[in-house]
Amino acid sequence: MTGEWMRTARLYVRLLGAQLRAAAQYKADFLVMIFAAVLSQGVGLIFLAALFARVPHLDGWSFWLVALMYAMVTVAEGIGSLLFEGTWRLAAMVNSGELDYLLVRPYPVALQLMSSAVGFNGLGNLVLGTAMIVVALCYAPLQWSPLQGLILVLLAGSAVVVKLAMNLATNAASFWLQGRNPVVAYAMHQVGELARYPLGIYPVGLRVVLTTVVPFAFTSYYPVSYLADGVDATIGLLTPAVAVACVFIAIWVFRRGLRRYESAGS
Amino acid sequence: MRPYLALARASARSVLTYRLTFVFSMFGLIFQLLALLAIWHAVIGAGQVNGLTWPQMKSYLLVAFSCGALVSLYTDFGMAARIQSGMVAVDLTRPIDYQKARLAETVGGVWIELLVAALGWCGVITLLGTIFWPDPVHLLLFVLSLAAVVPLKFLVVYITGLACFWTQNYLGINWARVAVVNLLSGALIPLSFLPSWFGTVAEYLPFAGITSTPALILAGDLHGLAAVRGLLLQVVWALLLWLLARATWATAVRQLTVHGG
Repeated sequence: MTGEWMRTARLYVRLLGAQLRAAAQYKADFLVMIFAAVLSQGVGLIFLAALFARVPHLDGWSFWLVALMYAMVTVAEGIGSLLFEGTWRLAAMVNSGELDYLLVRPYPVALQLMSSAVGFNGLGNLVLGTAMIVVALCYAPLQWSPLQGLILVLLAGSAVVVKLAMNLATNAASFWLQGRNPVVAYAMHQVGELARYPLGIYPVGLRVVLTTVVPFAFTSYYPVSYLADGVDATIGLLTPAVAVACVFIAIWVFRRGLRRYESAGS
Repeated sequence: MRPYLALARASARSVLTYRLTFVFSMFGLIFQLLALLAIWHAVIGAGQVNGLTWPQMKSYLLVAFSCGALVSLYTDFGMAARIQSGMVAVDLTRPIDYQKARLAETVGGVWIELLVAALGWCGVITLLGTIFWPDPVHLLLFVLSLAAVVPLKFLVVYITGLACFWTQNYLGINWARVAVVNLLSGALIPLSFLPSWFGTVAEYLPFAGITSTPALILAGDLHGLAAVRGLLLQVVWALLLWLLARATWATAVRQLTVHGG
Protein backbone atom coordinates (compact mmCIF):
# COMPACT_ATOMS: atom_id res chain seq x y z
CA MET A 1 0.00 0.00 0.00
CA THR A 2 2.67 2.47 1.07
CA GLY A 3 4.90 1.22 -1.74
CA GLU A 4 2.11 1.96 -4.19
CA TRP A 5 1.77 5.49 -2.86
CA MET A 6 5.50 6.07 -3.01
CA ARG A 7 5.61 4.90 -6.57
CA THR A 8 2.72 7.20 -7.51
CA ALA A 9 4.43 10.16 -5.87
CA ARG A 10 7.79 9.35 -7.43
CA LEU A 11 6.27 9.11 -10.88
CA TYR A 12 4.54 12.45 -10.38
CA VAL A 13 7.88 14.06 -9.63
CA ARG A 14 9.38 12.42 -12.72
CA LEU A 15 6.54 13.57 -14.97
CA LEU A 16 6.63 17.09 -13.62
CA GLY A 17 10.42 17.12 -13.77
CA ALA A 18 10.28 16.46 -17.50
CA GLN A 19 7.98 19.46 -17.96
CA LEU A 20 10.20 21.53 -15.71
CA ARG A 21 13.32 20.78 -17.71
CA ALA A 22 11.51 21.45 -20.97
CA ALA A 23 10.18 24.80 -19.76
CA ALA A 24 13.49 25.80 -18.18
CA GLN A 25 15.10 25.74 -21.63
CA TYR A 26 13.49 29.10 -22.27
CA LYS A 27 15.34 31.28 -19.80
CA ALA A 28 13.82 34.61 -20.82
CA ASP A 29 10.34 33.10 -20.51
CA PHE A 30 11.21 31.87 -17.08
CA LEU A 31 12.38 35.30 -15.93
CA VAL A 32 9.50 37.20 -17.51
CA MET A 33 6.90 34.98 -15.84
CA ILE A 34 8.51 35.23 -12.41
CA PHE A 35 8.88 38.99 -12.76
CA ALA A 36 5.24 39.36 -13.83
CA ALA A 37 4.02 37.24 -10.92
CA VAL A 38 6.02 39.18 -8.35
CA LEU A 39 4.80 42.46 -9.86
CA SER A 40 1.14 41.39 -9.82
CA GLN A 41 1.26 40.18 -6.22
CA GLY A 42 3.43 43.11 -5.15
CA VAL A 43 0.89 45.61 -6.46
CA GLY A 44 -1.78 43.94 -4.33
CA LEU A 45 0.47 44.31 -1.33
CA ILE A 46 1.09 48.00 -2.08
CA PHE A 47 -2.70 48.41 -2.20
CA LEU A 48 -3.02 46.91 1.29
CA ALA A 49 -0.16 48.97 2.68
CA ALA A 50 -1.57 52.20 1.17
CA LEU A 51 -5.01 51.39 2.59
CA PHE A 52 -3.73 50.63 6.08
CA ALA A 53 -1.61 53.79 6.06
CA ARG A 54 -4.92 55.69 6.36
CA VAL A 55 -7.03 53.32 8.42
CA PRO A 56 -5.87 51.22 11.39
CA HIS A 57 -8.29 48.33 10.91
CA LEU A 58 -10.30 46.55 8.25
CA ASP A 59 -13.38 45.08 9.90
CA GLY A 60 -11.35 44.79 13.11
CA TRP A 61 -8.33 43.15 11.45
CA SER A 62 -4.91 44.76 11.60
CA PHE A 63 -2.58 45.08 8.62
CA TRP A 64 -0.36 42.09 9.39
CA LEU A 65 -3.25 39.68 9.79
CA VAL A 66 -4.86 40.80 6.53
CA ALA A 67 -1.43 40.55 4.88
CA LEU A 68 -1.26 36.99 6.22
CA MET A 69 -4.62 36.12 4.60
CA TYR A 70 -3.49 37.76 1.37
CA ALA A 71 -0.19 35.88 1.39
CA MET A 72 -1.84 32.52 2.06
CA VAL A 73 -3.89 32.85 -1.13
CA THR A 74 -0.75 33.96 -3.00
CA VAL A 75 1.15 30.88 -1.81
CA ALA A 76 -1.70 28.50 -2.60
CA GLU A 77 -1.93 29.92 -6.13
CA GLY A 78 1.83 29.66 -6.45
CA ILE A 79 1.85 25.98 -5.53
CA GLY A 80 -1.07 25.42 -7.90
CA SER A 81 0.82 27.00 -10.81
CA LEU A 82 4.18 25.48 -10.09
CA LEU A 83 3.20 21.89 -9.33
CA PHE A 84 -0.32 21.42 -10.72
CA GLU A 85 -0.59 23.84 -13.65
CA GLY A 86 -1.72 21.01 -15.94
CA THR A 87 -5.14 21.09 -14.26
CA TRP A 88 -5.95 24.16 -16.33
CA ARG A 89 -5.30 22.24 -19.56
CA LEU A 90 -8.22 19.87 -19.07
CA ALA A 91 -10.70 21.99 -21.05
CA ALA A 92 -8.45 22.14 -24.11
CA MET A 93 -7.66 18.41 -23.82
CA VAL A 94 -11.32 17.40 -23.63
CA ASN A 95 -12.19 19.77 -26.44
CA SER A 96 -9.51 18.45 -28.77
CA GLY A 97 -9.73 14.82 -27.71
CA GLU A 98 -6.11 14.93 -26.61
CA LEU A 99 -7.13 13.33 -23.32
CA ASP A 100 -7.15 9.99 -25.16
CA TYR A 101 -3.39 9.79 -24.75
CA LEU A 102 -3.67 9.92 -20.97
CA LEU A 103 -6.30 7.19 -20.85
CA VAL A 104 -4.03 4.50 -22.25
CA ARG A 105 -1.15 5.03 -19.84
CA PRO A 106 -0.92 3.07 -16.57
CA TYR A 107 -1.04 6.07 -14.25
CA PRO A 108 -4.03 7.95 -12.75
CA VAL A 109 -5.48 10.29 -15.38
CA ALA A 110 -5.92 13.21 -12.97
CA LEU A 111 -2.27 13.02 -11.91
CA GLN A 112 -1.05 12.81 -15.50
CA LEU A 113 -3.15 15.84 -16.29
CA MET A 114 -1.95 17.89 -13.34
CA SER A 115 1.70 17.15 -14.06
CA SER A 116 1.39 18.01 -17.75
CA ALA A 117 2.49 21.64 -17.44
CA VAL A 118 4.57 23.96 -15.28
CA GLY A 119 3.80 27.60 -14.53
CA PHE A 120 6.94 29.41 -13.52
CA ASN A 121 4.87 32.36 -12.39
CA GLY A 122 4.07 30.08 -9.45
CA LEU A 123 7.67 30.32 -8.30
CA GLY A 124 7.34 34.10 -8.09
CA ASN A 125 4.11 33.76 -6.13
CA LEU A 126 5.63 31.16 -3.85
CA VAL A 127 8.74 33.16 -2.98
CA LEU A 128 6.94 36.46 -2.48
CA GLY A 129 4.03 34.82 -0.63
CA THR A 130 6.28 32.84 1.71
CA ALA A 131 8.34 35.94 2.49
CA MET A 132 5.12 37.82 3.24
CA ILE A 133 3.90 35.06 5.54
CA VAL A 134 7.17 35.00 7.47
CA VAL A 135 7.24 38.78 7.89
CA ALA A 136 3.54 38.90 8.79
CA LEU A 137 3.97 36.15 11.39
CA CYS A 138 6.83 38.10 12.97
CA TYR A 139 4.83 41.30 13.28
CA ALA A 140 1.31 39.98 13.85
CA PRO A 141 0.18 39.92 17.50
CA LEU A 142 0.10 36.14 17.91
CA GLN A 143 0.75 33.92 20.93
CA TRP A 144 3.40 31.33 20.17
CA SER A 145 3.97 27.81 21.51
CA PRO A 146 5.27 24.61 19.89
CA LEU A 147 1.71 23.28 19.66
CA GLN A 148 0.56 26.51 18.03
CA GLY A 149 3.39 26.19 15.49
CA LEU A 150 2.32 22.65 14.68
CA ILE A 151 -1.29 23.72 14.24
CA LEU A 152 -0.15 26.58 12.00
CA VAL A 153 1.64 24.16 9.68
CA LEU A 154 -1.37 21.82 9.63
CA LEU A 155 -3.86 24.61 8.92
CA ALA A 156 -1.70 26.29 6.27
CA GLY A 157 -1.14 22.96 4.52
CA SER A 158 -4.86 22.19 4.61
CA ALA A 159 -5.67 25.63 3.25
CA VAL A 160 -3.48 24.97 0.22
CA VAL A 161 -5.16 21.58 -0.29
CA VAL A 162 -8.61 23.23 -0.24
CA LYS A 163 -7.52 25.59 -2.99
CA LEU A 164 -5.97 22.82 -5.11
CA ALA A 165 -8.99 20.55 -4.74
CA MET A 166 -11.35 23.38 -5.70
CA ASN A 167 -9.15 23.95 -8.73
CA LEU A 168 -9.45 20.35 -9.85
CA ALA A 169 -13.19 20.13 -9.17
CA THR A 170 -14.02 23.34 -11.03
CA ASN A 171 -11.79 22.45 -13.96
CA ALA A 172 -13.54 19.07 -14.16
CA ALA A 173 -16.65 21.01 -15.18
CA SER A 174 -15.04 21.08 -18.63
CA PHE A 175 -16.03 17.41 -19.04
CA TRP A 176 -19.63 18.61 -19.26
CA LEU A 177 -19.16 21.98 -20.98
CA GLN A 178 -16.59 20.75 -23.52
CA GLY A 179 -15.57 24.30 -24.49
CA ARG A 180 -11.98 25.17 -25.27
CA ASN A 181 -11.51 27.37 -22.20
CA PRO A 182 -12.01 26.45 -18.54
CA VAL A 183 -14.62 29.17 -18.01
CA VAL A 184 -16.13 27.77 -14.81
CA ALA A 185 -12.74 27.25 -13.20
CA TYR A 186 -11.68 30.73 -14.21
CA ALA A 187 -14.82 32.27 -12.74
CA MET A 188 -14.39 30.27 -9.52
CA HIS A 189 -10.76 31.34 -9.34
CA GLN A 190 -12.00 34.93 -9.28
CA VAL A 191 -14.44 34.05 -6.49
CA GLY A 192 -11.46 32.63 -4.61
CA GLU A 193 -9.73 36.00 -4.85
CA LEU A 194 -12.36 37.38 -2.47
CA ALA A 195 -10.75 35.24 0.26
CA ARG A 196 -7.74 37.54 0.27
CA TYR A 197 -9.66 39.86 2.61
CA PRO A 198 -11.48 39.28 5.91
CA LEU A 199 -14.78 37.50 5.39
CA GLY A 200 -16.65 39.93 7.65
CA ILE A 201 -16.58 42.72 5.06
CA TYR A 202 -18.92 40.81 2.74
CA PRO A 203 -22.72 40.53 2.94
CA VAL A 204 -24.05 37.55 4.90
CA GLY A 205 -25.17 35.60 1.84
CA LEU A 206 -21.72 35.79 0.30
CA ARG A 207 -20.13 34.74 3.59
CA VAL A 208 -22.29 31.62 3.68
CA VAL A 209 -21.41 30.79 0.06
CA LEU A 210 -17.67 31.25 0.69
CA THR A 211 -17.91 28.97 3.73
CA THR A 212 -20.06 26.15 2.37
CA VAL A 213 -20.74 26.04 -1.38
CA VAL A 214 -17.26 27.16 -2.50
CA PRO A 215 -15.28 27.03 0.76
CA PHE A 216 -12.57 29.51 -0.25
CA ALA A 217 -12.80 31.15 3.19
CA PHE A 218 -10.88 28.10 4.44
CA THR A 219 -7.94 28.97 2.19
CA SER A 220 -7.10 32.02 4.29
CA TYR A 221 -9.62 33.67 6.57
CA TYR A 222 -10.63 30.81 8.88
CA PRO A 223 -7.10 29.49 9.51
CA VAL A 224 -5.82 33.00 10.24
CA SER A 225 -8.85 33.61 12.40
CA TYR A 226 -7.96 30.59 14.53
CA LEU A 227 -4.34 31.69 14.93
CA ALA A 228 -5.35 35.22 15.87
CA ASP A 229 -8.06 33.94 18.18
CA GLY A 230 -10.43 36.20 16.34
CA VAL A 231 -14.19 35.98 15.78
CA ASP A 232 -14.53 32.74 13.80
CA ALA A 233 -11.72 31.13 15.79
CA THR A 234 -12.93 27.58 16.41
CA ILE A 235 -14.26 27.08 12.90
CA GLY A 236 -10.67 27.50 11.71
CA LEU A 237 -9.83 24.13 13.25
CA LEU A 238 -12.18 22.54 10.73
CA THR A 239 -9.81 23.43 7.88
CA PRO A 240 -8.20 19.95 7.65
CA ALA A 241 -11.64 18.31 7.58
CA VAL A 242 -12.79 20.69 4.86
CA ALA A 243 -9.60 19.94 2.92
CA VAL A 244 -10.25 16.18 3.06
CA ALA A 245 -13.88 16.68 2.03
CA CYS A 246 -12.82 18.91 -0.88
CA VAL A 247 -10.32 16.33 -2.10
CA PHE A 248 -12.93 13.57 -2.04
CA ILE A 249 -15.48 15.74 -3.83
CA ALA A 250 -12.89 16.78 -6.44
CA ILE A 251 -11.92 13.16 -7.12
CA TRP A 252 -15.58 12.13 -7.30
CA VAL A 253 -16.46 14.94 -9.74
CA PHE A 254 -13.41 14.17 -11.86
CA ARG A 255 -14.30 10.46 -12.06
CA ARG A 256 -17.90 11.24 -12.96
CA GLY A 257 -16.66 13.56 -15.68
CA LEU A 258 -14.15 11.07 -17.00
CA ARG A 259 -16.93 8.50 -17.42
CA ARG A 260 -18.74 11.05 -19.55
CA TYR A 261 -15.73 11.70 -21.76
CA GLU A 262 -16.35 10.53 -25.29
CA SER A 263 -13.23 11.70 -27.12
CA ALA A 264 -13.42 13.94 -30.19
CA GLY A 265 -14.73 12.86 -33.58
CA SER A 266 -12.45 11.96 -36.48
CA MET B 1 -12.56 55.14 -43.78
CA ARG B 2 -14.73 52.31 -45.11
CA PRO B 3 -12.27 49.47 -44.43
CA TYR B 4 -11.84 50.68 -40.84
CA LEU B 5 -15.60 50.78 -40.31
CA ALA B 6 -15.79 47.22 -41.62
CA LEU B 7 -13.07 46.14 -39.16
CA ALA B 8 -14.92 47.81 -36.29
CA ARG B 9 -18.16 46.03 -37.23
CA ALA B 10 -16.36 42.69 -37.58
CA SER B 11 -14.77 43.04 -34.16
CA ALA B 12 -18.16 43.78 -32.53
CA ARG B 13 -19.70 40.81 -34.32
CA SER B 14 -16.89 38.59 -33.08
CA VAL B 15 -17.59 39.65 -29.48
CA LEU B 16 -21.28 38.88 -29.94
CA THR B 17 -20.51 35.48 -31.44
CA TYR B 18 -18.17 34.48 -28.62
CA ARG B 19 -20.29 36.21 -25.99
CA LEU B 20 -19.73 33.57 -23.32
CA THR B 21 -15.96 34.06 -23.54
CA PHE B 22 -16.48 37.81 -23.37
CA VAL B 23 -18.73 37.59 -20.32
CA PHE B 24 -16.26 35.34 -18.51
CA SER B 25 -13.41 37.69 -19.38
CA MET B 26 -15.32 40.29 -17.35
CA PHE B 27 -15.45 38.07 -14.25
CA GLY B 28 -12.11 39.22 -12.89
CA LEU B 29 -13.25 42.81 -13.08
CA ILE B 30 -16.63 42.09 -11.50
CA PHE B 31 -15.09 40.35 -8.50
CA GLN B 32 -12.47 43.05 -8.14
CA LEU B 33 -15.32 45.59 -8.00
CA LEU B 34 -17.12 43.43 -5.43
CA ALA B 35 -14.04 43.11 -3.20
CA LEU B 36 -13.19 46.82 -3.44
CA LEU B 37 -16.79 47.85 -2.66
CA ALA B 38 -16.78 45.58 0.40
CA ILE B 39 -13.40 46.88 1.58
CA TRP B 40 -14.24 50.56 1.21
CA HIS B 41 -17.69 50.06 2.72
CA ALA B 42 -16.05 48.54 5.79
CA VAL B 43 -13.40 51.25 5.93
CA ILE B 44 -15.47 54.38 5.25
CA GLY B 45 -18.77 53.49 6.91
CA ALA B 46 -20.72 56.69 7.52
CA GLY B 47 -17.61 58.86 7.69
CA GLN B 48 -14.96 59.63 5.11
CA VAL B 49 -11.41 58.63 4.30
CA ASN B 50 -9.02 61.02 2.58
CA GLY B 51 -11.91 63.36 1.78
CA LEU B 52 -13.98 60.67 0.06
CA THR B 53 -17.41 59.71 1.38
CA TRP B 54 -19.11 56.35 0.67
CA PRO B 55 -21.31 57.70 -2.22
CA GLN B 56 -18.21 59.34 -3.76
CA MET B 57 -16.26 56.10 -3.40
CA LYS B 58 -19.04 54.17 -5.11
CA SER B 59 -18.85 56.62 -8.04
CA TYR B 60 -15.08 56.24 -8.14
CA LEU B 61 -15.18 52.43 -8.12
CA LEU B 62 -17.89 52.28 -10.78
CA VAL B 63 -15.82 54.46 -13.09
CA ALA B 64 -12.78 52.29 -12.35
CA PHE B 65 -14.87 49.25 -13.26
CA SER B 66 -16.02 50.89 -16.50
CA CYS B 67 -12.48 51.89 -17.45
CA GLY B 68 -11.43 48.30 -16.81
CA ALA B 69 -14.21 47.04 -19.09
CA LEU B 70 -13.29 49.50 -21.87
CA VAL B 71 -10.67 48.34 -24.38
CA SER B 72 -10.59 44.80 -23.01
CA LEU B 73 -11.04 42.84 -26.23
CA TYR B 74 -7.59 41.26 -26.08
CA THR B 75 -6.46 43.21 -29.14
CA ASP B 76 -2.95 42.72 -27.79
CA PHE B 77 -3.30 38.93 -27.56
CA GLY B 78 -4.60 38.89 -31.12
CA MET B 79 -1.60 40.93 -32.23
CA ALA B 80 0.75 38.70 -30.23
CA ALA B 81 -0.61 35.53 -31.81
CA ARG B 82 -0.26 36.95 -35.33
CA ILE B 83 3.22 38.30 -34.72
CA GLN B 84 4.44 35.02 -33.24
CA SER B 85 2.90 32.87 -35.96
CA GLY B 86 4.16 35.17 -38.69
CA MET B 87 0.62 35.95 -39.87
CA VAL B 88 1.42 39.60 -39.29
CA ALA B 89 3.21 39.43 -42.65
CA VAL B 90 -0.23 39.24 -44.25
CA ASP B 91 -1.31 42.33 -42.31
CA LEU B 92 1.72 44.15 -43.67
CA THR B 93 0.62 43.57 -47.24
CA ARG B 94 -2.83 45.05 -46.65
CA PRO B 95 -3.40 48.56 -47.99
CA ILE B 96 -4.52 49.89 -44.61
CA ASP B 97 -2.66 51.38 -41.69
CA TYR B 98 -1.85 48.73 -39.04
CA GLN B 99 -2.20 51.03 -36.04
CA LYS B 100 -5.47 52.57 -37.23
CA ALA B 101 -6.81 49.12 -38.05
CA ARG B 102 -6.19 47.91 -34.49
CA LEU B 103 -7.77 51.11 -33.14
CA ALA B 104 -10.81 50.51 -35.32
CA GLU B 105 -11.17 46.98 -33.93
CA THR B 106 -10.94 48.34 -30.41
CA VAL B 107 -13.49 51.09 -30.99
CA GLY B 108 -15.86 48.59 -32.58
CA GLY B 109 -16.28 46.76 -29.30
CA VAL B 110 -16.71 49.84 -27.14
CA TRP B 111 -20.49 49.91 -27.21
CA ILE B 112 -20.68 46.34 -25.91
CA GLU B 113 -18.19 47.13 -23.16
CA LEU B 114 -20.22 50.20 -22.21
CA LEU B 115 -23.29 47.98 -22.04
CA VAL B 116 -21.52 45.70 -19.54
CA ALA B 117 -20.38 48.75 -17.57
CA ALA B 118 -23.95 50.11 -17.53
CA LEU B 119 -25.18 46.81 -16.10
CA GLY B 120 -22.58 47.15 -13.34
CA TRP B 121 -23.82 50.68 -12.58
CA CYS B 122 -27.45 49.56 -12.44
CA GLY B 123 -26.56 46.63 -10.19
CA VAL B 124 -24.56 48.69 -7.73
CA ILE B 125 -27.05 51.57 -7.59
CA THR B 126 -29.94 49.13 -7.07
CA LEU B 127 -28.22 47.13 -4.36
CA LEU B 128 -26.12 49.74 -2.57
CA GLY B 129 -28.10 52.92 -3.07
CA THR B 130 -27.40 56.13 -4.89
CA ILE B 131 -23.93 57.27 -5.86
CA PHE B 132 -22.44 60.77 -5.95
CA TRP B 133 -23.41 62.79 -9.05
CA PRO B 134 -21.63 66.08 -9.84
CA ASP B 135 -23.30 69.10 -11.49
CA PRO B 136 -24.06 68.97 -15.27
CA VAL B 137 -20.86 70.79 -16.26
CA HIS B 138 -18.70 68.24 -14.47
CA LEU B 139 -20.87 65.44 -15.76
CA LEU B 140 -20.02 66.61 -19.28
CA LEU B 141 -16.34 66.81 -18.38
CA PHE B 142 -16.62 63.27 -17.02
CA VAL B 143 -18.14 61.98 -20.27
CA LEU B 144 -15.35 63.61 -22.30
CA SER B 145 -12.73 62.23 -19.95
CA LEU B 146 -14.23 58.73 -20.16
CA ALA B 147 -14.17 59.00 -23.95
CA ALA B 148 -10.48 59.90 -23.79
CA VAL B 149 -9.83 56.66 -21.91
CA VAL B 150 -10.46 54.67 -25.11
CA PRO B 151 -7.55 55.97 -27.24
CA LEU B 152 -5.26 56.31 -24.22
CA LYS B 153 -5.78 52.77 -22.97
CA PHE B 154 -5.67 51.41 -26.49
CA LEU B 155 -2.26 52.95 -27.05
CA VAL B 156 -0.83 51.55 -23.83
CA VAL B 157 -2.16 48.11 -24.76
CA TYR B 158 -0.95 48.46 -28.35
CA ILE B 159 2.58 49.52 -27.43
CA THR B 160 2.93 46.60 -24.99
CA GLY B 161 1.56 44.32 -27.71
CA LEU B 162 4.40 45.43 -29.97
CA ALA B 163 6.79 43.91 -27.41
CA CYS B 164 6.03 40.62 -29.15
CA PHE B 165 8.37 41.57 -31.93
CA TRP B 166 11.15 41.12 -29.38
CA THR B 167 9.87 38.43 -27.00
CA GLN B 168 7.87 35.23 -27.44
CA ASN B 169 6.27 35.33 -24.03
CA TYR B 170 3.43 37.79 -24.27
CA LEU B 171 1.44 36.45 -21.30
CA GLY B 172 4.09 37.62 -18.85
CA ILE B 173 4.33 41.05 -20.50
CA ASN B 174 0.55 41.35 -20.37
CA TRP B 175 0.41 40.48 -16.66
CA ALA B 176 3.16 42.97 -15.91
CA ARG B 177 1.30 45.68 -17.83
CA VAL B 178 -1.99 44.95 -16.06
CA ALA B 179 -0.24 45.16 -12.69
CA VAL B 180 1.50 48.46 -13.48
CA VAL B 181 -1.63 50.02 -14.98
CA ASN B 182 -3.76 48.82 -12.05
CA LEU B 183 -1.51 50.60 -9.60
CA LEU B 184 -0.54 53.76 -11.52
CA SER B 185 -3.99 54.43 -12.97
CA GLY B 186 -5.65 54.40 -9.58
CA ALA B 187 -7.82 51.41 -10.52
CA LEU B 188 -6.98 49.65 -7.24
CA ILE B 189 -6.70 52.63 -4.95
CA PRO B 190 -7.06 56.39 -5.57
CA LEU B 191 -3.66 57.93 -6.24
CA SER B 192 -4.05 60.26 -3.24
CA PHE B 193 -3.65 57.23 -0.97
CA LEU B 194 -0.17 56.49 -2.28
CA PRO B 195 2.87 58.18 -0.70
CA SER B 196 2.63 61.82 -1.80
CA TRP B 197 5.72 61.99 -4.05
CA PHE B 198 4.70 58.74 -5.75
CA GLY B 199 1.07 59.83 -6.15
CA THR B 200 2.10 63.20 -7.61
CA VAL B 201 4.38 61.58 -10.16
CA ALA B 202 1.63 59.08 -11.06
CA GLU B 203 -0.85 61.93 -11.65
CA TYR B 204 1.28 63.22 -14.51
CA LEU B 205 1.92 59.83 -16.12
CA PRO B 206 -0.35 58.67 -18.96
CA PHE B 207 -1.78 55.88 -16.78
CA ALA B 208 -3.68 58.33 -14.56
CA GLY B 209 -5.81 59.20 -17.59
CA ILE B 210 -6.93 55.56 -17.83
CA THR B 211 -8.92 55.60 -14.56
CA SER B 212 -8.03 58.28 -12.05
CA THR B 213 -9.00 61.38 -14.07
CA PRO B 214 -12.54 60.37 -15.09
CA ALA B 215 -13.15 58.65 -11.74
CA LEU B 216 -12.14 61.68 -9.68
CA ILE B 217 -14.18 64.02 -11.89
CA LEU B 218 -17.34 61.96 -11.34
CA ALA B 219 -16.58 61.58 -7.63
CA GLY B 220 -16.38 65.38 -7.39
CA ASP B 221 -12.82 65.31 -6.12
CA LEU B 222 -11.37 66.84 -9.28
CA HIS B 223 -13.30 69.99 -10.20
CA GLY B 224 -13.06 73.30 -11.99
CA LEU B 225 -9.73 74.04 -13.60
CA ALA B 226 -8.12 70.90 -12.17
CA ALA B 227 -10.69 68.77 -14.01
CA VAL B 228 -10.08 70.62 -17.28
CA ARG B 229 -6.33 70.22 -16.79
CA GLY B 230 -6.77 66.50 -16.20
CA LEU B 231 -8.75 66.18 -19.39
CA LEU B 232 -6.13 68.14 -21.36
CA LEU B 233 -3.40 65.93 -19.95
CA GLN B 234 -5.29 62.90 -21.23
CA VAL B 235 -5.49 64.38 -24.73
CA VAL B 236 -1.83 65.41 -24.77
CA TRP B 237 -0.73 61.96 -23.63
CA ALA B 238 -2.95 60.28 -26.23
CA LEU B 239 -1.28 62.34 -28.98
CA LEU B 240 2.22 61.69 -27.64
CA LEU B 241 1.60 57.96 -27.27
CA TRP B 242 0.17 57.81 -30.78
CA LEU B 243 3.49 59.14 -32.09
CA LEU B 244 5.46 56.89 -29.76
CA ALA B 245 3.50 53.89 -31.02
CA ARG B 246 4.31 54.88 -34.59
CA ALA B 247 8.01 55.12 -33.76
CA THR B 248 7.97 51.79 -31.90
CA TRP B 249 6.23 50.11 -34.83
CA ALA B 250 8.83 51.46 -37.26
CA THR B 251 11.63 49.84 -35.25
CA ALA B 252 9.61 46.74 -34.40
CA VAL B 253 8.80 45.58 -37.93
CA ARG B 254 12.48 45.53 -38.69
CA GLN B 255 12.86 42.87 -35.98
CA LEU B 256 10.41 40.60 -37.71
CA THR B 257 11.64 37.26 -38.96
CA VAL B 258 9.08 34.96 -40.49
CA HIS B 259 10.28 31.43 -41.06
CA GLY B 260 9.05 29.60 -44.13
CA GLY B 261 5.49 29.77 -45.32
